[in-house]
Amino acid sequence: MDVVERSVRSWIATEKDAEVEKLVVGISSGSADFLDIVKALGEYLTSEEDDLRTKGVQMLSLVIERCPRDKLNRQAVRVLTTFYCSKLEDTETITPALRGLSHLVTFSSFSSLEVSDVLSSLFQQVKMKSLVQSTRSYVYSIVDVLINTYRDHLKNIGEQFLSGYAALASGEQDPRNLLVAFKIARVILTDFDISKHVETYFDITFCYYPIVFRPSPDDPYGINVDDLKDSLRACLSATPAFGSLGISLFLEKLAVVPSLTKRDVLQTMAVCFPVYGIDIAREFGRNVWNALKLEIFEPTDPLTEEMALGTLRAFVRVLASSSDGADDTIDTVLRAICTDSLGFVGEPDKTQAKAGIKVLRTLIDVPSKLGVDAINNAMETLIGLFHDPGEVSNRAAVITLLADLLSAFVVSVTPDPSTTTDVIIGMFIVGLKSSATRLPGIRGLSNLIRIPTLLTDSELGYIVFETGELAKKEPDEAEDATTDVLLLLASIALTAPHHLANQTLPSLFAMLPEQAPSRDAQTERAEYWRALRVLSKLCVQPTLFEILVIRLIAKLELLCSLSMAQEVSAGGTPRAEEIERSAAYAHALLVTLANTLSTKVSKTPPDPDVPKYVDQLLSHLFRLFLVAAVTSERRIMQDQRLLRAGARIVKLVVEALSIEQQQRFIDGVGAAFLHGQVKAVTGGDFPPLTEEFKPIHMLTAAQGDASTHQRETVILFAAAHIPIRKEVSVMKNPDVKGPSVLSAFLRDLVRWCDLSTCSTLQRGAASELFATLVNKHADDVSDFLDEMRTSYFPATLNDTRVPIEARRKAMDNWVSISRGLVVRSHPLALSFIDSLLTLLDDETVAWGAAHALGLLVADDGVLTKRNGAVQKILYVQKYFNVVLPKVMDGANKVDGTKRATAYLIALASLVYAVPKSLYATQISTLMPLLLRGLEVAHPEIRWQIIETFSNNVSAFSDDELLSTYASTLVVTVLKNCTVVDMPEHKVRVAALKCLALLPTAVRYDLLHPYKPRVLKDLAKALDDPKRAVRNEAVDARYKYSG
Amino acid sequence: MNAQMFNANPTIYVSQKSSRKSRFEAGQSLWVDDDDYDDEERSSHADVEPIDQDEIFELIRSISDPEHPNSLEELRVVSAEQIEVGDNHIVVEFTPTVPHCGMSTLIGLCIRVRLLRSLPPRFKVDIRVQPGSHQSELAVNKQLNDKERVAAALENPSIVETIEKCIETAESSRRV
Repeated sequence: MDVVERSVRSWIATEKDAEVEKLVVGISSGSADFLDIVKALGEYLTSEEDDLRTKGVQMLSLVIERCPRDKLNRQAVRVLTTFYCSKLEDTETITPALRGLSHLVTFSSFSSLEVSDVLSSLFQQVKMKSLVQSTRSYVYSIVDVLINTYRDHLKNIGEQFLSGYAALASGEQDPRNLLVAFKIARVILTDFDISKHVETYFDITFCYYPIVFRPSPDDPYGINVDDLKDSLRACLSATPAFGSLGISLFLEKLAVVPSLTKRDVLQTMAVCFPVYGIDIAREFGRNVWNALKLEIFEPTDPLTEEMALGTLRAFVRVLASSSDGADDTIDTVLRAICTDSLGFVGEPDKTQAKAGIKVLRTLIDVPSKLGVDAINNAMETLIGLFHDPGEVSNRAAVITLLADLLSAFVVSVTPDPSTTTDVIIGMFIVGLKSSATRLPGIRGLSNLIRIPTLLTDSELGYIVFETGELAKKEPDEAEDATTDVLLLLASIALTAPHHLANQTLPSLFAMLPEQAPSRDAQTERAEYWRALRVLSKLCVQPTLFEILVIRLIAKLELLCSLSMAQEVSAGGTPRAEEIERSAAYAHALLVTLANTLSTKVSKTPPDPDVPKYVDQLLSHLFRLFLVAAVTSERRIMQDQRLLRAGARIVKLVVEALSIEQQQRFIDGVGAAFLHGQVKAVTGGDFPPLTEEFKPIHMLTAAQGDASTHQRETVILFAAAHIPIRKEVSVMKNPDVKGPSVLSAFLRDLVRWCDLSTCSTLQRGAASELFATLVNKHADDVSDFLDEMRTSYFPATLNDTRVPIEARRKAMDNWVSISRGLVVRSHPLALSFIDSLLTLLDDETVAWGAAHALGLLVADDGVLTKRNGAVQKILYVQKYFNVVLPKVMDGANKVDGTKRATAYLIALASLVYAVPKSLYATQISTLMPLLLRGLEVAHPEIRWQIIETFSNNVSAFSDDELLSTYASTLVVTVLKNCTVVDMPEHKVRVAALKCLALLPTAVRYDLLHPYKPRVLKDLAKALDDPKRAVRNEAVDARYKYSG
Repeated sequence: MNAQMFNANPTIYVSQKSSRKSRFEAGQSLWVDDDDYDDEERSSHADVEPIDQDEIFELIRSISDPEHPNSLEELRVVSAEQIEVGDNHIVVEFTPTVPHCGMSTLIGLCIRVRLLRSLPPRFKVDIRVQPGSHQSELAVNKQLNDKERVAAALENPSIVETIEKCIETAESSRRV
């Protein structure tokens, strides 16, 4: 007995898949022949026993299924086809035979000769109703393959095929088979001549419409209702022959089905109209419009209304395609649509009027004159209503409608509304005068200006003139329309800035006083700030921004010189109070500039005009700040808040510079701050120096340190460096060669920071410098980094003999430098982190070190992508994976000492700083530690831990394990809610927020026992001295009372 | 809901953004963005912010009207000016949209329940219809300020259900 025969026999006996596999391998390699298999199967194929016969055919089909598609020759295919066709008569073998056929038709040597045979036996022998779904699906897949591969041949068969298939497919119920059946039907309907079978095919497609099938939630077959709907829709819209039958059916369905199905019907109609064509549309026009009218004017819900409008749009487009401009052919239907909508628009106080406008807007796409006429009619009606004294109370509604109508023109290509433009503008302007019609009026105007090339320049000017008045008013007077007015003006500014420059800006600038108002002149102060805010919104456009910069700088200069002049006339230093007033005013000016710049730079892409303000703005600012810094008298520009605002402006402008421009700028800054050549940064303009400008110098004790004012300008120096790209070389010193210049500077900066005179502001600036310079030039400063590790750390940070204050300051420097390294995942970062970890064991600085471990990866606004920092991807993850295990180890040693506490703090700040996805898997081990951390008295730590809980509350609901902590959590967090227990209000707010999140996330039965207690304690929080806390308490209490 | 609408077409006003002024606008500071800076120092523990009319208004402005899908603020039923805060005593006046509004008592009850839940118990709250704005002003005022009558009303499940629905929006709108 040879191999083939043995395999066949053993399959018949065992049905083991491996046997089939063996045979297929044999055929593929050529060692076995297909004929042998048939021979070996011979007795089974013709066996009298039903069971054996089925198995025989099944075996053959399985082999064919897996057999490579080119391994059978024409003859074999021919024989097999005939064989299978004969087996279709036999109810025992029909299933495997169909299975075999469904694969056989895909073979390359299967030819059109066999197609007719297969089809005729299918049509004659197969009784679909008596077969199960899986068997029926073989039939569909056979037809599907044939119709795709032998389409022309099938067309030749024609009638016989069409009627035969229709009989096969009729009555199919299973969605899996229907998906294929619809695909086949679509091909037949589009490619075959079905003129004699329209009704039959209408029956086997439209009978499924609309599809209400809903798969069970855990449907193993993955039937997607949308796929089903889409493929049926493709059938329905396949041929114009369905037109009259289809539309009547749609209209009938539309009247009776629920709203969800209604949307489906509407969508299908929209797809079908273009296919069914103009004649059908005309024939059913009236009925369609009546049905749609109902959906649009009496909508069941907004979404359905939207869909109905979409259907109407498609319908109108079909209708309009024939009305080729000549007026007499315009459809009566279109005319009906117009008159009906106009009728509704005539009653603007009804809600239908809005729908009427929407309908009219769909008409704008109609190429014929009718659409434009209809809209113009509507406008005239509205204008008439507006001027009708009896309809005065409806003016707001009229203006709203008109504004809606105009928005149609924004997107259309049709000619603009006719000559009525000036009347419409007039109406909107009248609308601005009274409070009820103001907002609609503004909306109308903004729609008007969005219509391209509609308004003339002088009309724009008129609009600016009228609305500009509103912008100046107090928000209370203007009924909160200010925001919309500003948006309107800002969009006019883009096209016609000169109108704003001539009309609006002068009066706004006039609202800015020469001198700061006196301390009790609250209204004047509010007025200048309002004017500045409006200016900041309007002056984003390049031309206007230039005007803004020039005017505000002039104001600033005037303020500075006035305060100096007063000093001279008063014969002494002006009073501190006066200085503060002026400084506050100057601060408002600077903040305005910074806000406007920030809008310009944050745009994508940023405005291209920003770089030129290095010369036009920054040089003036530097001059004002530096002049104030080098005198010993009090000057307004010495104020820290002004310096901060100035630094913000510097950062924004420098961010927008190109690399070459940054290089030139930073060279100037270096020359000024490091070498005293102030003119390099002030554009060459500087009064004679009374004292030398050397903010960072501290060479010899004899010379003395720089004055505080000078030292504070370092914040500007730092701001200039933060956005500088890494390609730009900094601290270039023409006298010294080599990269060590930067190291030397950093070394100086460390000593500068360690001075006792160094204020918080100054150290902040220095920290930013450390971070950004180390981050961008780490490889140039390796000698500095080495020195920090080998001498600075042991001698200053880790030396208990050094005073605490100095060590804390040193910690700040250490953290900034490490942060620069961590962000770029520098190899040295590890050793810097390790040093910090060793400090956790030192009681005096443990607190700071623990806190710093979180700061290293927290976002500080300095080392960001926008500032060109060198960021390695996943640096946070790397850092977290290194530090977390060490901190966890330390924290797990419960011995109640301060040392364990330090580790808990480190853990809290670390977990707070990183995104929650990093520790999501470890949350169950972290929870107990964090809960212990809440016992630490420090408010900042408690705040971080509570915030961490709040961020992770959603995780509680998924995890049974974490639900066990819910009750502990409620009790511990509750302890931080009242002012008696927790004096820091920030923590109270966070605790209350966290409590409020719990009821939605945690199972009710877990929290129920705590409900009375929570409600009682929260009643105390309702009487908290802080408003923010009371607000949260109200919320939280509501969540628990339900 | 009743088939009868007492005011089918009320005037709807725009609701204001928060009425709270920043420190600069309130004249407490010369500096425009004082609220952003040195938050730490300002939040000194002694700095008490007493409950004021704006805060009471915040609590009740977004209660929805039992008749309309609008808030009491949008219908100008309540406003900050109509609230008086004294020493442990608060008087809230509200204006029904029409003088024959049968929902006035219900609106008043909503305000009372909202304040009952959101204010510390030390406050006595009086709720009144604005004088001259309702035809049975005295009766409504009596119902709203009589402890026994309020308690009785709150034992009626259908009234409580309506009230809960109205003040639900007051909760959710504050979460922005």
